[in-house]
Amino acid sequence: MLTCQEVLDNLSCYLDGEGSEELRRELERHIARCAQCFVIVDTTKQSLRIIADCEPFEVPLATSARLYERLAHFFAGLL
Amino acid sequence: MPNRKYSFSPAQDEDGPLVERTLEGDRQAYEQLVRKHEKRVFRTTIAILGELADAEEAMQETFLKAYQNLHTFRRDARFTTWLTRIAVNESLQILRRRRDTAALDDPETAPQNLRPHRVEEWYANPERHYAAAELKRIVEEAIRALPPTYRVVLLLRDVEELSTEETAAALGLSIPATKSRVLRARLMVREALAAYFEKPPTLRSRLRRATSMVRNMMAMALERPGGWFGGR
Ligand SMILES: [Zn+2]
Repeated sequence: MLTCQEVLDNLSCYLDGEGSEELRRELERHIARCAQCFVIVDTTKQSLRIIADCEPFEVPLATSARLYERLAHFFAGLL
Repeated sequence: MPNRKYSFSPAQDEDGPLVERTLEGDRQAYEQLVRKHEKRVFRTTIAILGELADAEEAMQETFLKAYQNLHTFRRDARFTTWLTRIAVNESLQILRRRRDTAALDDPETAPQNLRPHRVEEWYANPERHYAAAELKRIVEEAIRALPPTYRVVLLLRDVEELSTEETAAALGLSIPATKSRVLRARLMVREALAAYFEKPPTLRSRLRRATSMVRNMMAMALERPGGWFGGR
């Protein structure tokens, strides 16, 4: 069976659905038995979901407006 | 910096037609490309630079350079990867001007210890305990607290959902270096969010952790991992 450190090292494989069938089965087996690794895997998965859902660092409206202004200037200069 | 090639056929690039039209002189096509990609470019520049004014400047430069150099786009990568690479370079240039050149090299300055500290369970759907604006502030703060190289891999990989290969190509990193940074970034941000989302420890959770620790130590000592002590 994998050690907790090995579970941690392969956490991304597990979350991204990569790695061999065998490795994934071993990870599942460990997580089912180890409360600590279960929490780490589960909360990392939750973290990524929450981060993606809340769309952090959106472009401020004024920043976006100035971008189009600058591009318009640039194109005008090309004429 | 390796100019990595990976399997990719131009037909897969959904931006292909807009790129072609731009090259034929259609500026509205370029404007559509800008509208579509400004979010990703901004996330890249703000991740590396941290400051809004700098991120804005880098974003403007990115879209100007991309337009001027579009004829050099080789189509061995998606347009979005090529564009992100420019955004990374423009940001680094601004950093260099700010003499802060070490931002994207990390390994030595990175926290070496990956071991998670906060291991309490979280509330179910913990994000529901916060209003949307508050949640966003919490998440942005957690990401801001990461070193720049981790911020940028996390945003590209887990918010923009680039593949590992695309993230590596955009940042000029090797695949193994990218993977290791993605893992660290994920663990670090988890740790930061845990402060908001975890349940207070209970007697039961403490006991479980102690049992788990003993079991691990025994397993290691006996080289029979997980053995005889049963489940949780
Ligand atoms: Zn474990």
